[in-house]
Order: sequence, then structure tokens, then C-alpha cells
Amino acid sequence: MARSLTELLDDFVMPLLGGGPLQVGAPLRARDLPPMLELARELQRPELRFLRLRRGQQLVADPELPDPDPDELQLWAGLYNTLVFEHPDRRRVWSRASVWRRVEGTTRSLLTLSAPASVGEALMRHVSVGAFIDLRRHDMVVGLPTGGELRAMGQDLPRRILRVASPADGLRHEQVRLCEQLASLEAQRLLEDALRASPLTCVLRPLVAPPGWSPLWAADAFGDRAMVRAICHEWARQRDWVAVGGAVTGALLPSLPNPSRARPVPREGERLALPGAVLPTDPDVLVGVVGALIHLHFLKVVELDARLGVAAASRDPGVTAFLALPLLLPWLGERTGSPLGGVVQDDAQRPGRDHVDAPIARRWTEYLDHLQELVPRSAVDNLLASLVSRIVQTP
Amino acid sequence: MWARAAWPAAGGYYRPRFPLCYPPPRMATSLLEPVSAGQTRFRMQGLAPDARGIAVGREVLVTFPTIDWLVAFLGAFSDESNLDDLLPTMTLEHSRRQEGGHAILLRAAAGDGYAVDRLARIAGATRGQLFTGSGSVFVRWRGREAPFGYDLVSPMAASGEEVLVVDIDYVATYAAVDRMDPVELIQRLQLRRVPLPLSGISGEAERCGIKDLALALVAPGLASRVLRHLWRLEANFAGYYVTLEGDAGASLLLRIRHPRGRVLDVLHGTPGVELLAPASSRAAVQLGYRHPIQLASASACLPGEEMFLFRGDVGRVERLPGPPRFVDGRHLVEATGTAHLRELGQLREAELEPLQVELQVRPASNPREPRGALIAWEQVALLRHLVYLIPPSALAASRVVPLDEGLVVITGSSIGNRGRAAAVAGMGAGAIVPLGRRLGEVAPGVLVADGYELWPRVRPALTRQLLGLGPDDHALFLRPDTDPIRVTEAQLLPLDAALIGRLRLSDATTVAPELPALTPGQVENRKLGRFALWGFGGPPKGPEDEGRGQ
Repeated sequence: MARSLTELLDDFVMPLLGGGPLQVGAPLRARDLPPMLELARELQRPELRFLRLRRGQQLVADPELPDPDPDELQLWAGLYNTLVFEHPDRRRVWSRASVWRRVEGTTRSLLTLSAPASVGEALMRHVSVGAFIDLRRHDMVVGLPTGGELRAMGQDLPRRILRVASPADGLRHEQVRLCEQLASLEAQRLLEDALRASPLTCVLRPLVAPPGWSPLWAADAFGDRAMVRAICHEWARQRDWVAVGGAVTGALLPSLPNPSRARPVPREGERLALPGAVLPTDPDVLVGVVGALIHLHFLKVVELDARLGVAAASRDPGVTAFLALPLLLPWLGERTGSPLGGVVQDDAQRPGRDHVDAPIARRWTEYLDHLQELVPRSAVDNLLASLVSRIVQTP
Repeated sequence: MWARAAWPAAGGYYRPRFPLCYPPPRMATSLLEPVSAGQTRFRMQGLAPDARGIAVGREVLVTFPTIDWLVAFLGAFSDESNLDDLLPTMTLEHSRRQEGGHAILLRAAAGDGYAVDRLARIAGATRGQLFTGSGSVFVRWRGREAPFGYDLVSPMAASGEEVLVVDIDYVATYAAVDRMDPVELIQRLQLRRVPLPLSGISGEAERCGIKDLALALVAPGLASRVLRHLWRLEANFAGYYVTLEGDAGASLLLRIRHPRGRVLDVLHGTPGVELLAPASSRAAVQLGYRHPIQLASASACLPGEEMFLFRGDVGRVERLPGPPRFVDGRHLVEATGTAHLRELGQLREAELEPLQVELQVRPASNPREPRGALIAWEQVALLRHLVYLIPPSALAASRVVPLDEGLVVITGSSIGNRGRAAAVAGMGAGAIVPLGRRLGEVAPGVLVADGYELWPRVRPALTRQLLGLGPDDHALFLRPDTDPIRVTEAQLLPLDAALIGRLRLSDATTVAPELPALTPGQVENRKLGRFALWGFGGPPKGPEDEGRGQ
């Protein structure tokens, strides 16, 4: 790949955001970025801004995206380099393994970004990382006479093979989701780094989130009403919504600070360590996360009448805790609000409201009763001790 | 037998005395004994058990004290059952009882126990006694004491032609004196009078049995008059002439189907005319009389194909030879008219000009529903404002004609498609628009100013014909002193289209999305050169690489 910003945008960024074939070639070096930044006006290309806007509008109607900045360019370069590790011609490159490790380190450094300072910045990173997760790859597969198959990953088969290949050989075309079938360990590790750089993507795709992730990373997103609505509906759109909720809850609970483990007091004369990443444990942030998870229950009750046969068989503690969240409403209701409470207040004067709300209220009540039979009491007690106590004063 | 006792003189007491010459008194002995259940053998010949075990002989014998009770028996039986079942085997004998007295004996073949039970019941109601047996010996029919009948205690036999009737305690012997033919007896029976309805037979024709069909026997001298009268009344009748026994001339027998009350009243009140009600297909009984026997159930007593007319007034039964052959009434009357119809040949070419008058407009006072209006041009601006008040159906049915005199609004003409729509819509716009001079419709499509009419009042269709109007043309008599105006269909403009200004619509522009939906990107791996990692090989040398990638 020619190491210029224009080519990077044309061959990689624009297809990444807008769809179409994106070209992956030689990796970018860290020293390639400063020359690119000298052409920073390329980052203000209208079509690029428009594609970012369209990507953002897939989530919220009026995204407040900041202008492209060096961090975003750094992220694109890191994503680009991640794909290099999945290149089928990687073995043809004359280099030692240490060089590849150096490339991985460079890429990781490109993907290491500070936590987003605002919702817009989080959305900006999700625009790129979310599109990266959705990347597809077109493979051509042909059976070999000696057994096995020959797969051309993101490339065309050599003409010498196509010349002798016949339909009897089973030439077929496959569309592969790239992030689900990463072959190299380096790419898998780098993908986790990319996800850590985009907390909103982790929130929206909790099943692919890296270990140790916490929804509290995207605390700002849970404070934005439009964004929370988008998050809830994105969760509800997925088929295994219980697993999604369980993953979020399972990531939330360990990230809560343990009050019993007091911070050690540094001894005198000891060198002070730099403070690590401090997660916000403000009750309002927790209320936002818990309220979104409870609202996910309500959305599925409205949509599906909430058949929970699969969830009952799951032993995942995160899933159990997720299913127990609506049972915490008697304690959290004052802070989170009831799913039906807003409806009653806003549409009290709407004619025919009882006709619409009565079945929903009945189903929600039945759903809570069902959960009460389904969820063990100990799970509720654990949540009362760990989660609820951080939001409201429990007796 | 008990001897007659001698009564003593006054003051003495009764003392029976038995002379030595008398035999000693005996106890009464029964001549019959009841048949027991299941008994199959009897001392009397001819008895046999039926299905219920009742001893039934081959014949039954019914004794009546007088012939009147016999007739009553036959009448009751014919009412209840069919006399034809009994007549073929029935014989009637006038017998003398050996012990003294007379009786009428009716013998007939016995059926099963049910039929004999019915005969016994009817005989008991008509003072008769029923016995069963065969040949010359008959025993008492079953009763309450002997539900299965009676049998002789000891066999008995009659001598000669006598008939021996055995009851429980006595034996009667009958000897036939005279035999009667039952058919002849039935035919000779005297008719019984029945009262006629007080309201006349015309109102009670069904009760008298002559509602559908009536027969009339007309004396010879009245035939032609009666026929003429019936012909004049257009009655549905047929008849033929029959010669009754003892009459010199031929009488006329008429059959009148569905006679009207007037016909019945006239015929019933005419001397020499006897109305007869059909009792069966071959018997009729005079009106006011009734045969003691139901003739409908006794066809066997009317043998052959003859027709029987039972006449009560004269006390005769007329036997008409052969089946009745009625001839339709129109062949029985004679035409006496002499007038002949003349076909109309050539019409006279008469001059009708003296009859012709001029069609003119004259004032009238009768109100008409306004079907149009003549609006002066000065008031057209007002009409434009009033259009908003006109109902849509009336507006759609209204048409206008611009003339020099003004704008004619035709709202409810009865011709044309819009006219029919106006008729459906109800009241037209002419009744709503309070402008100009109203026009009324004197004929379809002919509008005359309100307060006037066409004179003379000819038929509406003729009016259009006289004016020479086409199928969709209109004629307007706007003023009495001006000539009418012909308006063709093409000159009529729809009111709504004439009033509403032309609107210009802007063509819709469809906006197609210029950009396709966002799709995931497709990774295409370029060919990677052997020196793709050029520049990554060395350790960091520059300050830019320091701390990165390691």
C-alpha cells in the first residue's frame, strides 16, 4: 500500500465506512502517520464526513460527531494493520518472527487510545470499530484432487487453478465474517485492543467484547437519552438477547469496587504508583446501566411476550443476574423508574390509553411473576448486596 | 216352568198348589257356555278361533225388529265404514219367528273378530242383535261374560229352511217370509229432508255441496230459457237431454262448474228446475234432501254405469241410461243475432285542418317544481357565491346554457343521464338558488317559465313530438311572447365544470435515494510483496519510534 493519506482513505477508510472492497496490503509504520497528518485537510473530505454521519445515524438520529482527528487516523491505521495479520500472503514475506512481533506492537500502540471524553467521541470510535467488526471477506474455495480444499481468502484463485477447475471440483464462493474467523492470534489480540479503544462498540456487541470489559467504560453513553434508547434497541434486535443482557450484567458486576477491600494505605517513603483506570461508580451511572437492562426486559415483553425457556436452562451467573434485575424494581424503582411509569405520566390524557396499556401491564406483571419463579432467591439477594446497595440505601 | 199361581180370596194368604199332573219344577239351564281361552274345538259346527282366540263363525246374523232400524244400521255403517265390503255377501230376509213376531234378518259373511265387533257395536246401537254361526244355527256374539264367545252346550240343528238363533237362555227359530235385494232396498229408500241455510244457498254453497259442481234437472219447457239465462251470465255449464220415465218430453240435465251465487239463486228459485248436489261420481241428490246412506261409500249399490238422480220432491230415483255425456253449453244455445261486422276498408281522406289549434303559452296558476332558472347576467356573480351552498348531488346534476337573455341553469330535467341523477338526488339546485326566473317542466325536456303552461294540454310525449325535439334536446319557453329555444345536448355545460376555475397541478417529482444503504466492507487482500515489512526490521532509531511498537 502506498503510504499516503489519500490512498489510505480511498482504499481502506471509505470502503470500511461506506461498504465496498477495501484493499489490504503492506502494514503501516508508525512513522508513516506524521506525513499523513500534514495533509490533514484530506480528513475533512465531505464524502468522508458524510459516511461517518451515515454510520452514526444508524445508531442515533442526530449524531454529534467531532471532526476527524489524529486519534481517529491512528485508529484507522491500527485497524488496517490488524487486517494485515490475516493476509494469506503473510508467509511469503521475507522477515523474521520478531519483525512481525514488532508490527504487532506497533499496531497495538496505534490502537491504544485514551478513554473517550464524550459521547460523540465514543460514537466516533464506534463508527470505525463497529464497521470493522462487520467486515466481510469473499473467499473462493475449490476442492483438491488429493483431498482437502484450497481457499483463496479475499483473493481470486490463481488462473492456473481456475483453468483446470471444473464444477465437479466444487468451486464455491463464501462470505465470511472476518471478526468471527480470525485465524491469527495476533489479529485476535489486536481486535481486543481495538474493542477496548471503543467502549460503545463493546456495549453494543457485548458478546465480542474483550475480557475484563465493563459497561461502565461507556458511562457517558448511558447518560445520553438517545444513546441509551439506541443501545436498548440494539440489544433487543439480537436474537440471543438474554445472552447479551447476561454478558452486560456479567461484565458490570465484577467491575463494581468491592467496599470490603479497602484501598491500601501507602507506606511512608514508598513510591506512589500512578492511578490506573478508574471506573465511574456514580449511582447515576449505575442507574443508567441497570435501567437499560431492565428496559431490555420490557422491550422483549412488548415484542415477544417474553418466552424464557432458554434462559431458564442457562447457568451463567451473568444471565441469572440479568434475569433477576427486574425483580429489583421494588428497591430501584424510585431511581430507575418503572417501565410503565413513564407511559402513564406522558400519555395519561391520550384516549384509548387503557386499551393499549392494560394488556402490556398485565403481561409485564405476569413476566415478573414468571421471573420470580425462575430466578433463585439467592441471586436477588446477591444483587441486593452488591448492586442495589451502591444505588440506594438498602435496609 | 213355574205354573201360574192362583190367588186366594180376600183375607186369605197365598199358597201355591202343585197339581199332581204337573212335573216338578226344574232349574234353568244355560244353552250356551262361554268359550275358554285357547279353546280350539267347539261343539257347534262352523265356529273357529281367530287370531285372538275368539270363536267366530263363517257368517253373522243380525236381527232387527223393524226395517227402519235396518236402514239406520246401514246408514251408520256407511258413515263409519265402507258399505261395499258388506254388500256382496249381504242378504236381507223378512222372517217370521216361530214363537211369534217378525224380524228382519241380515246375513253376511263374517270377517275376523274386529269386523264382527264393529258390526255388533253398530247393531247394538240400532236395536239389533248380532249372532255368529254358519248355515242355520247362530249363537250369541261374545260379551262381557264371555270374551271369547259362546259355544253350544249341546249340538242343535234346524229343520228345513229355518234359522235357529241360540241365546243363553232361549232358542228362537226364524222362517223366511220374504227376501229383499239390498241394492234395490237402498235405491228405494226415501230421502230425508235437511234444512237449507237461511241465508240462501248462494252464500253456503260449500255447505250444500255444490261449490265446485252442481247439477240441475230442468223441466222440458224451461230448457231453452234456462240455457239462455246461463249463457248470458257466462256460466261454465254443459248439459244433455234425458228422457225420464213417464215424461213426454226430454228434460235437460245441466252440469255447472263453479256456479256463481246468482246462478244458484235463480235456478233454485225457479219452479221446474231441480238443483242436485253430486253425492258420488254417479249419484246426485236433490238439494234439500239427504239419502239415508252415504252413497259415496256404497258404490256397489249403484250397479252398472248408470247415473242415479235421487229426487226428493217427487220421491223418485231416476236411472239415466249409460254414463252422463255432457255437451258444452255453447253448443246448446242458439244464436239469434242478425248483425254482421264490417271490415274497415279505406280511410276517408278527411281534412283535419279545422281541428288543428296552435300550441300557445298561457298563464297558469298551478304550481310546479322548479327544474331550472333563467339568471340574468348581472346576477351571475351572485350565483358564483351560491354555488357553495348547493348540495354536491344537485351540483353534479346541474347544467347551464349561456344565452343572450341570461344564464339558464337546468337542474332537474327528466331526460338524459344527468336528469336521472337529478331524480335520484332529489331536490335540484333550481329549488335552492333564489335567483332569476324559475322554469318548470311541462313535458320531459320542455321547460316553461314559472306561472305559465302550454295550452292545450296534450300528452307530454306528443308535446316533444310536436316541437320536433330529439332524444336529448331541450325546449325553453323563456317568455310567453318569444319563440321557444332549442338546446341540444352538446350545448349544455356542466355547472360545476363551468364555474370552477381551472387548476394547474404541478407534476410530482419522485426523489430516489441517491446513496445505497450502507453495507459492510469487503476485504480484498492485495498481493503482498516479499518486502512488505520493509522499515519494521530495525530497532527504533528516531525519536518518533521511541516507545512505540515495543
